[in-house]
Amino acid sequence: MSKPKIPKEKQLPEGLIVDCPKTEQEQMTTGGWRILRSVIDQDECTHCRVCWINCPDAAISVDESGDMKINLKYCKGCGICAATCTVGAISRVPELDFDEVVVYRDLPY
Amino acid sequence: MVETKIKNQVIEVTIWATGVLQDAEGRDTANCIAAAAAQEGKHVQAFDNYVDLPDRVNVPVRKYARISSEEIQEKYLYENDHPNIVVLVEPSLIKGYNILRGMPEGGILILNTDRDPEELLKFVPNKELLRAIATVDAKVDEKIVDDFMDIEGASAKTLGRGIGAVLAGAVAKVSGEYTLESLKKVVQNKEGAQKGYDSVKIKQL
Amino acid sequence: MKGEKKFLAGLAAVAEAAKLADVDVISSFPIRPYTGLMVDLSLKVANGELDAEFVHAEGEHGQLAIVHGASASGARTMTGSSGVGVTYAFETYSPISGGRCPVQMVIADRTLDPPGDFGSEHSDVLCARDQGWIMGWAETPQEALDNTLIYYRLGEDKRVALPQFNCQDGYFVSHIPGDVVVPEQSQVNEFLPPYKLDKPLDPLRPYGHGPQIYSDQGPVLELQRAIVMDKAKEIIPGIMDDFKRIFGRKYDPFIEDYNPNNAEVCLFINGAHAHTARYAIANLKSQGVNLALCKLRFVRPWATDEIAEALSRYKVVGVIETNNSFGVAREAGVFTPEVAATLYDLPENKRPMLISFMAGLGGEAIRLKDFYFMAKKLINTAQRKKLEKPVYWIGFEEDEEDLTF
Repeated sequence: MSKPKIPKEKQLPEGLIVDCPKTEQEQMTTGGWRILRSVIDQDECTHCRVCWINCPDAAISVDESGDMKINLKYCKGCGICAATCTVGAISRVPELDFDEVVVYRDLPY
Repeated sequence: MVETKIKNQVIEVTIWATGVLQDAEGRDTANCIAAAAAQEGKHVQAFDNYVDLPDRVNVPVRKYARISSEEIQEKYLYENDHPNIVVLVEPSLIKGYNILRGMPEGGILILNTDRDPEELLKFVPNKELLRAIATVDAKVDEKIVDDFMDIEGASAKTLGRGIGAVLAGAVAKVSGEYTLESLKKVVQNKEGAQKGYDSVKIKQL
Repeated sequence: MKGEKKFLAGLAAVAEAAKLADVDVISSFPIRPYTGLMVDLSLKVANGELDAEFVHAEGEHGQLAIVHGASASGARTMTGSSGVGVTYAFETYSPISGGRCPVQMVIADRTLDPPGDFGSEHSDVLCARDQGWIMGWAETPQEALDNTLIYYRLGEDKRVALPQFNCQDGYFVSHIPGDVVVPEQSQVNEFLPPYKLDKPLDPLRPYGHGPQIYSDQGPVLELQRAIVMDKAKEIIPGIMDDFKRIFGRKYDPFIEDYNPNNAEVCLFINGAHAHTARYAIANLKSQGVNLALCKLRFVRPWATDEIAEALSRYKVVGVIETNNSFGVAREAGVFTPEVAATLYDLPENKRPMLISFMAGLGGEAIRLKDFYFMAKKLINTAQRKKLEKPVYWIGFEEDEEDLTF
């Protein structure tokens, strides 16, 4: 007996064997979880890299000029960087104080 | 042609909270709203979103309540597709997610914050769906996150001890789905319900 | 009606029933969605509301092994699982049923892997339908509570002594609360006598369980187990009458034949979605379309004669399958071959046509419009007196939007 056709937009890979993301997972941007945003005071920062090592989501990177930069698409606002900063250069500011919207999702995932 | 619209009008309430720390408060809010409406003889449902649990700290979780004057015909659904009332226990969620998704015209948005409704309206791109936005400062002394013993189908032991009563009071004032007296009959934190009813700041749109 | 009115989910209702039935040994292992039951029971044991041994096992196989030993020693036991946990413990089902230990296993359905989907499908328990356990589904939290008490009474009866699967749809019944009347302790004491074993395991008076047999004793053993299932079928109606007398709620023994409008076509359904189907029938009646419903109360023992007699009144029967059985006869699910075998012995003029609907797979909710589509297919087949297609997959059929009758 013949089975109905599966429409193209509903197709899934056979055996559910899926590709891995190369650099970042676009379907699960977690920036919307943030309640307090970590802000680095670049004048105080000594580039010791303790925040970069301790970030659990690998959301802090070093940009071309050598400064520490937080990836706001994925930062969940956990505050580990602010707690471990050796000179206290990172402060946590409520997300609603900032007008810019970095992540806006139609669905939570 | 068979009439395929569902006959009865169901008022759908969606409550957004953050995981672990506000999960119990969110569920409490949904339970308070449903219990207050049930006190007036309406047919209600109150449940969690299934795929948001198990929750992690700060993940957005959703709770649902449904109120109808007739028997609810489609009881076994996963989400509220067309919420009439959206309550945010954590106001930062307004920036990251399309909380008004599926809302029919003339809905209500209520947030738990001490800021003014004006400040938060700018983060909502589809604000034409709203008929009112309201904020209420629902800080209470007692937090009900001390036990996780009512998750995943286990029964809730108390009703309306903390933020839930305050937010349910605000919903009573803004939407009028049930009265404050019915709410006060079922919750424990009666002063909180009164405070929510009195101190909610409404901006009509 | 006596009893306290509460707003409980299916799992919380089963926990209340376990407290009323005074369960002795509980073994737990977490798997979503049935974990909420063990959360509730552990709180009751810790509070002192329920006096029971609560053992946390190292896996589902260990869970069943623990309650096997406890039940053979004379304890009333409860355990549970979902999804792949049920299949992990598969090896233990036959020894427990053959050893006649009336264990109760509460199941909240979940799809089998792959993928890690939490949705409710009945396949996880239906895999074990041949092992000799009593099996049935609950449609609402109230029915889940009542089923717990009924299954203990049925399973622990000396003439039966069989283990039971107390099943409900995961999330639909287990997590969404509904109105429940929790009975009083005096009512439950009257309905459910304490569990007494003739030959319990005891160090002072040892008995042997499951020795090696000669090969010619094999058929005798199998026949004995088959006779016991027959015995269970005989005493179920008496238990339902007793239940109605004590608690005031009436449940049909084997199937619920819901035909308020003298319809010619019937839907055969098992599980939570029967609740929505009743509203679909009422809505269709107001449009002039007549549909009936036949809901299964017990999957095992399967009441062949009663089901055949009930279905013989219809022209077309649509079996709704919320399960899958890949490569089975007639390529639908688990219930279609069973219903076909039930109808096989009916005379030619009384045998209805049989259609299958694969609906609710992966845990998808069956909406009212799906029921309207199913009714349309049944009515068209009855008018044409010929099958257009034996199996329909809801969600993939091209003409699902067109609901002209």
